[in-house]
Amino acid sequence: MTLQALTANRLLDGEVVFWSGAHWVEQFSDAELFDDPDPADAALATAKALSTLLIDPYLITVTDDGAAPVSFRERIRALGPTDHGELGKQAEGGAAIAAIKGAHGAARSTGRLSLIRRKP
Amino acid sequence: MSVYAYDTIDREMLADRAAEFRGQVARRLSGALSEDQFKPLRLMNGLYLQLHAYMLRVAIPYGALDGRQLRALAAISRDYDKGYGHFTTRTNIQFHWIKLKDAPDILDRLAAVDLHAIQTSGNCIRNITADPYAGATAEEVDDPRPWSEALRQWSTFHPEFTYLPRKFKIAVTGSSKDRTVARAHDIGLKLIRGAEGRLGFEVMVGGGMGRTPYLGATIREFLPAKSLLSYLTAILRVYNRLGRRDNIYKARIKILVASMGAEAFARQVEAEWALLDQASIDLPDLELERIRAAFGAARFEALPARSQAFDAARAADPALARFARNNLSAHKQPGYTVVNISLKAPGATPGDATAEQMEAIAALAERYGQDDIRVTHAQNLVLPHVRLDDVPAVFAQLQHYGLGTPNLDLVTDIIACPGLDYCALANARAIPIANDIARRFAEPDRADAIGELKIKISGCINACGHHHVGHIGILGVDKKGEEFYQLSLGGSGAEDASLAAILGPALPADQVAPAVQALVDAYLGLRTGQAERFLDTYRRLGPAPFKEAVYADADQA
Repeated sequence: MTLQALTANRLLDGEVVFWSGAHWVEQFSDAELFDDPDPADAALATAKALSTLLIDPYLITVTDDGAAPVSFRERIRALGPTDHGELGKQAEGGAAIAAIKGAHGAARSTGRLSLIRRKP
Repeated sequence: MSVYAYDTIDREMLADRAAEFRGQVARRLSGALSEDQFKPLRLMNGLYLQLHAYMLRVAIPYGALDGRQLRALAAISRDYDKGYGHFTTRTNIQFHWIKLKDAPDILDRLAAVDLHAIQTSGNCIRNITADPYAGATAEEVDDPRPWSEALRQWSTFHPEFTYLPRKFKIAVTGSSKDRTVARAHDIGLKLIRGAEGRLGFEVMVGGGMGRTPYLGATIREFLPAKSLLSYLTAILRVYNRLGRRDNIYKARIKILVASMGAEAFARQVEAEWALLDQASIDLPDLELERIRAAFGAARFEALPARSQAFDAARAADPALARFARNNLSAHKQPGYTVVNISLKAPGATPGDATAEQMEAIAALAERYGQDDIRVTHAQNLVLPHVRLDDVPAVFAQLQHYGLGTPNLDLVTDIIACPGLDYCALANARAIPIANDIARRFAEPDRADAIGELKIKISGCINACGHHHVGHIGILGVDKKGEEFYQLSLGGSGAEDASLAAILGPALPADQVAPAVQALVDAYLGLRTGQAERFLDTYRRLGPAPFKEAVYADADQA
């Protein structure tokens, strides 16, 4: 079983958001975790139609305990930059943030494919 | 007046552009434009989507700013970002926390101080790099800024060169010492004096970094200066016609020049140039004089070459003495100096400046520096015209704002791109690696003893951190999901330009700073004396002793 979550950037401000099952939320800890690929794909298809709300929705894989995205890139998206610990989502602190920071075994290639992209 | 003075036409153009973008944003938010339709429009205004938010890249034309403009950038960072900005290796500034809904207002704010984000993205001619010591160094044969401004005007919205096969970068230097990395640009231009003192350019073409680095080849030893625009038109036409559009990774002019050979490329350019109506393209002398005059002239007082006040202050203050030794450069005018402001304080993100720091630098420029500020490709700032008498006061203020780090061109003056902490393209972080290395060499006496050592870090193969021309270059790679770093040695972006060669297998993040230490220790044991830089020792001995130093340690780890 591979856990997945649905993420995107919000069009209006670029903020990283996650699908909670009912709303688009800003913290990964509030994200709905899909253990079945079919509803995950259905949620993704719905998100892709929300073009005035979101940019580029996609599914990410999540650690088996559901505490953190698998990929290092996605952890940084879920936290904020590591050079400014006071900025971004990590500023909220708490156990959920600490769990992402403490997650091990990053595997970026399972987070999202085709990450090596050209510069615009 | 220190920067080129915009006229009514320039200002109307910027206002129109900002208004146009406001309409485009409104149409995107309403759904009238899809993201696919909107993305090229926002990129043409420097607005990228990165990991945490939008990023706005603002052009700083040939790296020259005045206090009014730097204050405006500070205010934008405070009002629309998170209170800081990031100066880049393209001598631009990036704001990493921008909201789309604010972007039109920001463009209006920029336009109010003659700034913009035009052509900071896209397959067009980008912001021009120029010598940050322009107008200040005795080495230069002519000031590169008027030529850069002429190129800016020529290339902005140029209908023929707006959709090139790929982006296009030009550097202009007037000095024998290259502070622009001219040979790593699509076109590098070096002002020179030819026979009978005539002014001209050495024209280098086909340099670049990225995944396939090349140093530019000189295709014309001497181009009469008055022919600059027509000759560049010929180069761009040949590139536009023959450059590859079928493969994005082979689309830069460097690939074309390398595949044709520089001589064959030069012949094509000369043939194209001969067909052009050059007089209709080249800058009339009167127009060049108008541009020169629009910069205003720096006003220098007649001063003695030495300043007693400065000499006494540095004799009394070892910190000032160190700053003077490392961060001041010779000025053409007796009694003046070039003050380099390092944005590489211990623990800081290379190239970052807070709003307060930007305002402090603006105030220093206005009070002590003829209202002139420059941005360097090494992500530092420069006050090019400061009286030696004023250096103690300037240094005191710099220290107060955390800007007095005396490490120009030393081991802790590290270039680092934003990397995976911000950038959607990156494979690995660059900033924490820079911080690790800087911590390891934090003792200033040790950094001084090591001497000039340029470390450059990129978080991906696109090479924004200039790792190919680092004395020590560091490239972040993704190795089975982990951040790894490939070390290269022997690069130089200066007048002795060279490309770095990969030292060996990539290292995990926690072994990079120890590896750099091993390299430095090896160098210190091998150098013939303090005058022999790390780069010189590497060039003399080759990679073997350095490879042994790093990988012997790595094996033990």
